[in-house]
Amino acid sequence: MKRLNQRAVALQLLVFITQWGLMIIGFGILALIVAPLRIQSDPSLGRYFDASAKAMIALVLSISWLFIWDRQVRLYFYRKKEALQS
Amino acid sequence: MLPSGWEVTTAVILAIVSFPVSLVLTRFFMQVNSKRGIIGIDVHKLTKPRIPEMCGAAIPLTVILLPSAYVLIGGGNAITMLAFSLVVGSAAIVGAVDDRLKMRGIYKPLLTLLCGLPIVALGLLYPDQVYNPTLQVPIFGSFHLPVIYPLSIPVAISVTSNTTNMLDPLNGAMAGGVSIISAALLIGVLITDPAPSIVFLYACLLFSMLGFFYFNRYPSRAFAGNVGQLSVGAALGALAILGRTEIVSIVAMFPQIQNSFFFLSKIKRFTEHHALTAKPTKLLDDGRLASSSDPNAPLTLVRTLLVGQPAKESEIVSTIFALFLISGALALITMILIG
Repeated sequence: MKRLNQRAVALQLLVFITQWGLMIIGFGILALIVAPLRIQSDPSLGRYFDASAKAMIALVLSISWLFIWDRQVRLYFYRKKEALQS
Repeated sequence: MLPSGWEVTTAVILAIVSFPVSLVLTRFFMQVNSKRGIIGIDVHKLTKPRIPEMCGAAIPLTVILLPSAYVLIGGGNAITMLAFSLVVGSAAIVGAVDDRLKMRGIYKPLLTLLCGLPIVALGLLYPDQVYNPTLQVPIFGSFHLPVIYPLSIPVAISVTSNTTNMLDPLNGAMAGGVSIISAALLIGVLITDPAPSIVFLYACLLFSMLGFFYFNRYPSRAFAGNVGQLSVGAALGALAILGRTEIVSIVAMFPQIQNSFFFLSKIKRFTEHHALTAKPTKLLDDGRLASSSDPNAPLTLVRTLLVGQPAKESEIVSTIFALFLISGALALITMILIG
């Protein structure tokens, strides 16, 4: 593998491992903290409110995860202006 | 009845048949589609060769035919196979319609949402036989999602099919990448909890992908088309749900997720590649590919790999395969952590 490819693969490896670790922590938060919460105890409609609230928390965690992914790729690959590099 | 170990071994051996079936079907589609003028241009080559399109139809046909035969000879769970076949078949139809009619970018994600409905419907008809709403999490156990899980199935199928559709810019990238993912997930399933139906389906997907890859690898003699890409992505999504490998599949699909996310974050809408005014890469006079200098061009995975300097198409494809190997290894570790 050429040097360019080795560098790109190494940086991507760093991104993937960071995101993998964050993902496991995120699912840990969901499993240990969010899932056992009883936000609304009403057995009928409350069940759906409970599910929606937890889904929103999961969505916020997912967006944060993607945001960190975005920052990492921009930092490693697009820090300098491409026009100057090529 | 065969003992479980033998059932699994038989499932893998039978699934190997999908390799020659996929090979023959791809060859068939190459000839038929060439004659009918269903042709695409390989824009990343200086000679701009004309390549038969929609040959990826061989993959959904293989992964529907083989499980049907497997059920007929008495192997596997018929409901699981039916759910899988309906998802893959409906995604293939959406892809074929898109290949012929060139729909607007927004229709593909919307229509592929419907492709997940067979799993939801069969899950309601046969509770606990199709999907399990308890999500298994690495290290931290599991949690039950009785309301959210079935609602998220159509979204999952739409995401996996469209994200696979988006990461096929170069010769063999999708077929090789999905082959690596399928192999990693097959190994993971084999070393953890091998249900014969799931082992068969993963092996079937792997060998049918390899059959297609033979003709699709660099330099390509066959293009998958949306019919192949969407159905393969839907197959991965369906297997994630049916095989309880949801989180593992997300990890295995890291390269696709990155590619789609950066494309959408830059373009901010669902659109077709051919409809883009600013392309992510450009072809140089010496045949190498370079990152686009247009600030409006999308940040695709290929462009990320080209930021440093231009490279040959075959080198970029090798790098993409290396990334799939990394994500596949992480997926395998995740599966072991889940247990």
